[in-house]
Amino acid sequence: MTLKITNISKTYSNGVQALKNVSLDIPNGMYGLLGPNGAGKSTLMRILATLQDPDNGSIQLGDIDVLNEKDKVRETLGYLPQEFGVYPKAKAEDLLDYFAILKGITERRARKEVVEALLRQTNLWDVRKQKLGGFSGGMKQRFGVAVALLGNPKLMIVDEPTAGLDPAERVRFLNLLSELGENSVVLLSTHIVEDVSELCTRMAIINRGEILLEAEPLKAVEGLQGRIWRKIVDKSMLSLVEYEHNVISTKLLSGRTVVHIYSEEDPGNGFETVAPDLEDVYFTTMSGHVGNLKPETAL
Amino acid sequence: MRFWGIFKYEFSYQVQRFWTWLIFFALIGFGFLFVRVNFIADALYSDSFVNTPFFIAGATVMGCLIWLGMSAVVAGEAAARDVQTRMHPLTYTAPISKLEYLGGRFCAALVLNAFIIFAVQLGILLGYYAPGVDAGILGPFRPAAYLTAYAIIALPNAIIATAIQFSLAVRSGKAMASYLGSFLLVFMGFFVAGALLWKRSLGTLLDPIGIRFIVEDLAHLWTTVEQSTRLIGLEGNILINRLLWLGIALVALFVTYFGFRFVHRTESNWFNRILRRKKMYSPSPTRVGVIDSTPVSVPHINRTFGFTMHVRKTLAFTWDSFRTIATSWAGLAMLLAVPLLTVLIVADQMVSGGMPLVPITARVISVLTAPLSAELSRWVIIPLLLIYFAGELVWREREARLGEITDTMPGSEWPPLLGKFLGLGFVLVVFTLLQMGAGILAQVLMGYQHFEIWLYIKILFGLQLPEYLLFAMLALVVHVLVDQKYVGYLVAIITYVFIALSTMFGVEHNMLVYGAGPAWSYTDMGGFGSSIAPWLWFKAYWAAWALLLAIVARLLWVRGKESNIRVRLQWAKQRFTRSTAWTAAVAGALLFTLGGFIFYNTNVLNNYRTAAEINKQRAEYERRYAKYGSIAQPQLAATTLHVEIYPNLQAADITGTYRLVNRSTKAIDAIHVATVPRVKTKAVTFDRAATSVLNDEELGYWIYKLEKPLQPGDSVQLKFQVQVAQQGFRESGADAPVVANGTYFSNEWLPAIGYQKSRELISASDRREQGLKPRPMIASLYDQKARKGSSGGIAFEAVVGTAKDQVAVAPGALRRTWQKGNRRYFLYATDAPIGNELYFFSAKYKVHEAQWKNLDGKGHPVTIRVYHHPEHTTHLEGMVRSIKASLDYYTKEFGPYRHKHVSFVEYPGNGDGAGIHAEPGLLFYEEGFTFLKPEDPESFDFPFAVVAHEMAHQWTVPYANVEGAPVMSESIAWYYAMKAVENALGPAQLRQLINFMRESHVRAEIRRGEPLLRGLDPYMSYRKGPFALYTMSEYVGAEKVNHALRQLLEKHRTTGAPPATTLDLYRELRTVTPDSLQYLLHDLFEVNTYWDLETKQATAEQTETGQWQVTLEVKARKEVFDSAGVETEIPMEDWVMVGVLEEGKSIHEPLYLKMHRIRSGEQTIKVTVPRKPARAGLDLTNLLIDSKPENNTIEVKVNQTGKSAKIISKNAKQQKEVIL
Repeated sequence: MTLKITNISKTYSNGVQALKNVSLDIPNGMYGLLGPNGAGKSTLMRILATLQDPDNGSIQLGDIDVLNEKDKVRETLGYLPQEFGVYPKAKAEDLLDYFAILKGITERRARKEVVEALLRQTNLWDVRKQKLGGFSGGMKQRFGVAVALLGNPKLMIVDEPTAGLDPAERVRFLNLLSELGENSVVLLSTHIVEDVSELCTRMAIINRGEILLEAEPLKAVEGLQGRIWRKIVDKSMLSLVEYEHNVISTKLLSGRTVVHIYSEEDPGNGFETVAPDLEDVYFTTMSGHVGNLKPETAL
Repeated sequence: MRFWGIFKYEFSYQVQRFWTWLIFFALIGFGFLFVRVNFIADALYSDSFVNTPFFIAGATVMGCLIWLGMSAVVAGEAAARDVQTRMHPLTYTAPISKLEYLGGRFCAALVLNAFIIFAVQLGILLGYYAPGVDAGILGPFRPAAYLTAYAIIALPNAIIATAIQFSLAVRSGKAMASYLGSFLLVFMGFFVAGALLWKRSLGTLLDPIGIRFIVEDLAHLWTTVEQSTRLIGLEGNILINRLLWLGIALVALFVTYFGFRFVHRTESNWFNRILRRKKMYSPSPTRVGVIDSTPVSVPHINRTFGFTMHVRKTLAFTWDSFRTIATSWAGLAMLLAVPLLTVLIVADQMVSGGMPLVPITARVISVLTAPLSAELSRWVIIPLLLIYFAGELVWREREARLGEITDTMPGSEWPPLLGKFLGLGFVLVVFTLLQMGAGILAQVLMGYQHFEIWLYIKILFGLQLPEYLLFAMLALVVHVLVDQKYVGYLVAIITYVFIALSTMFGVEHNMLVYGAGPAWSYTDMGGFGSSIAPWLWFKAYWAAWALLLAIVARLLWVRGKESNIRVRLQWAKQRFTRSTAWTAAVAGALLFTLGGFIFYNTNVLNNYRTAAEINKQRAEYERRYAKYGSIAQPQLAATTLHVEIYPNLQAADITGTYRLVNRSTKAIDAIHVATVPRVKTKAVTFDRAATSVLNDEELGYWIYKLEKPLQPGDSVQLKFQVQVAQQGFRESGADAPVVANGTYFSNEWLPAIGYQKSRELISASDRREQGLKPRPMIASLYDQKARKGSSGGIAFEAVVGTAKDQVAVAPGALRRTWQKGNRRYFLYATDAPIGNELYFFSAKYKVHEAQWKNLDGKGHPVTIRVYHHPEHTTHLEGMVRSIKASLDYYTKEFGPYRHKHVSFVEYPGNGDGAGIHAEPGLLFYEEGFTFLKPEDPESFDFPFAVVAHEMAHQWTVPYANVEGAPVMSESIAWYYAMKAVENALGPAQLRQLINFMRESHVRAEIRRGEPLLRGLDPYMSYRKGPFALYTMSEYVGAEKVNHALRQLLEKHRTTGAPPATTLDLYRELRTVTPDSLQYLLHDLFEVNTYWDLETKQATAEQTETGQWQVTLEVKARKEVFDSAGVETEIPMEDWVMVGVLEEGKSIHEPLYLKMHRIRSGEQTIKVTVPRKPARAGLDLTNLLIDSKPENNTIEVKVNQTGKSAKIISKNAKQQKEVIL
């Protein structure tokens, strides 16, 4: 099953153009949607989750027309929104059971089985009798995952899921997702590069409503081989370096600044070559050296 | 400064909100409409203006009530917005103090509310001064009237409500909790103060809104002059009430302030803290940081997405909704507090005028039920709660921020909508069940065993529950459509106000007011009668509407992130599938079929007219035919009827003959006949040649010209035929006069002779609206023309036929009864003239018979017949005993009983009991009367007194229909009854009767209007009049007063004598009153006199002879109030009873009881009594009207040393002791 997004645009009533002619082909497996805050990720995710309608364009999931057959989509959808709450007075087990009914698992025994499996899977089994109001952010997030996983969705939309998780929880969670990705479409939006690099077989970078790059992470990194250079400079030198080179990112390291620049040949000047990683891909794309971003708008 | 910053920000934030202005303008609109509809339209009987301070205060109270329902959002937002938007970590950590934070927020809300509630005053002003008001009914503009109403009612209400709403919202962290505050106040005002504690004046204090202490109290306490001029003042009960509630508000604020902390809000509550569960929250997973590589093994489960899932989802939503409500505070209030209070209320209501009632199920149920539109009933809290719950349910997912998750789940929008409705319905079912339990529990507590569970179920579940369910659906739909929580509440409340006050908005027909319909009725005798079918048709019609509304709500149900109207319409288009279309088509078809059928019944088969149309028609009648009002017409001398009642067909056929006699001095050449449009009048014929010259069927006016005029003294026969049949049902319900069991009707259906003055519009406002000149309510006492000669009554004979298993009753003595085929016939004929009001009854009666013979053997025996419902038997013995006692006493004192029979007939109705109607020889009582029960032989026997009173009407003097008429009829009859009670049951029962009569008119201090001679209202005729006669009988002797009354009766009962007025009564009383007491007669009858008697001190001292000398320090004062209520003090030199009582002895065994002359001012009285006194004072039996009778007597202090008493005794020598 593939998710085919064609020419989706969305403009909000306040004039913000959240998506501009976005087209993507998303196959089975984990797909990362990378972009800064406000890039349009959540809008795209909500459109895919049937919560919003684009102004134009079309979306196909297999043979389902996502925009016009919402009911069909919902039957196969798992959605974990960026932000959500719970009924504070409800117990984890009861509420999950309730959602299982809402998702169409009507048979009592089956429901019990699924709820138990998911609670164990998300490591909430021990606290299943406790009220959700007392849960920590990570536990709530895992509960949300359990809800999203109910009913073996073929399309899984997870919107910045790792934001509130501690490192261990994050690893657990991503494992869970990747296994799920083996036979469904899992779309993961994030602004954390590691999430994508560790898991996703394909990815897209989005900014200001436009897809800047659509690639396989490994290939994209490979493509930057030998073009990323690094130098540690004093803070005072930074503006000079920025003036002379195509700086893609700066980072503080023990009080001095590490500068990464993009250059197709050796820039000299004390720069050393580094092995690029996905972060470099991200920043190179964001500054317009690769991908769809037109240089004039980038500067 | 930070306080000021917080205040300013909050104020400007809310001033910019839509809801603030919605409430503001809604209140202006309400004030305007209220004034226009209630005051301007009702303007006015007399010459008082419509913009009096009193009216303005009343409108302000009603406005406050509406404000309370709508504006809780203001305080709620100010108190809880930070927590609700989860911004509180930012504000709580700012360097501000609690006082600045809470104070600033509260003050902003308060100022805003004070501003919003001022809209009521603006609306009232607009109502008076916007174009369209006749300037003649407006008095001078008095800003003080608006300002005092605002300052005393509105502003304190705003402070109280804001404080309570604010406190609740702060405490719960939810803005909506403020609505609970509003609810609590309404609950106090309507439920607690209104129902439970009303009789005790606590009710006035506990009402936080003003319904009781302004609208009810002042309306009764103030004279008309006061009502038109006096400003509301902060004094008395109003002051205490305001202080009490401001105090409560202050306490609420203090508690809030001290309970509030700038801390993280946890979910634990006091309940958890108390329990201190061993396992506090430790919900961290046991394995931390482990990379768990077990594969995802979520079992693959088949899901179903069809009908099964929708049903299962609906049930899940239902259960979740029910649990949410049932475990919330408001839910607990509804499912716990209300039913518990209901037990008390039912017990409290099982009393009629101080008499306990048998708590039969039908009566208990009537306490438990009310139509949705009864806006001032105590059950108004249920729709308010439903609006609140509906909002909570519609917003449940989104408020928990779960909306995005649930919205992406499979299935249509039906399950949440239906589930929430059913959840609400389930709450209502449980509530109804608990109410039923409360009713039964109340019955058990009162020792009543006959529960009639099935009747409870039929009425509470079958009739009351659907009423609530319809409204629940409406409330849900409003919230769904509005899709803004606060505005949703406002719109829902406005919708409810419209339903409850629809006539105020000019909408009357039940087909136009959501959920409305004709009322059902239930009595033991008549069952539901035919009231259920029309009720059902209307409710089915509204159910079809509800279904249609549900479809619209489903189509526009917000699902997803966007909710503007364009997107929602687009969804609606997408969701409008074939099956939806079919459902909508079915609902629409149902709507049109039912609506059409109802319309056919109410407006085609029957004549539907609005109140305005009816008024117009009555005005037209007067305009066209009033000119015939004074022409000579023959008078009715005899009526012969043949009445066929068909209980099963709900029809009756009447044929009749009138004998009309020309008692005037001129020849009459045309006979004017009045008919009733509701029935078919056919075949009006005369026994001499006559031609119809006018036939106005619509207004019911016919003129027949006689070929040969009817000469004075000559008579003519008029024959007619009347058909009564129920065609379908009317807008107001079945309204069938002939019913399966318990038919009763009067001769108002039969043709009448001449212009019918009773059809004229009476109220000044109606007449003004129709362009008619005002007419007096009743002719003046001094209007000689109004005292036309009496007709001397009519002779009457009737054959009444009814179904075989029923008994028919008509005026006159039963002469014969026979059966013919399937029907049973009764012949009734009079043995003495009766009035021209005829009543007919038919039901499955049982007849209880008794005979009465005169004690001295003289006169004829009288047959007593009580026609009663076979199951109602407990009252029979008492009733007959009272009838006999009445006959005993009245025949002895006032003259013979004129008939050889007396019939008491029961008819359906759950009225409060005292409603017996008396016609000559025929008296009829509502079923309710049979449920009055004296607790034991010693206790007050109210039914005895009522029957004695009604029997006394058999001796009522023919009286003229002028001012004072009710005094002639009711006052004298009650005086008779008092005497009959004393004669038959003894002085102790009389004492209880008098106490009862005083108690049920606690407001004896109303110093209103006209003197007794011109008395019209119930207080004058049922209380002041009988007391005045009783006082005279105590002062001059009963035999003298009785003699005067007998004289009066004998003079006016003879044929041809003019009817009596209060002036005749007054003349007879003066004849029997000695000169020394003429002043008293004058004080009681001719002017409004109030005595203010007070015993300040009473001391006693034992003399050497062993006797006791009692010294009384008393104060007296006498005032006269003129008809406008202006008081003048009159010097007093009156005879007043001075009495001394012994410990534990009643007034009937006094140590001392003698008349003394008491003058105005303070004085000392000294009397000597043989034994130790306990209590002493003036006018012990309250013969003189005193607004504070409780201070007439005082405890006697016994002096051990004799000194002080001696000094007083010196002064006392001036006080001459006079013994009458």
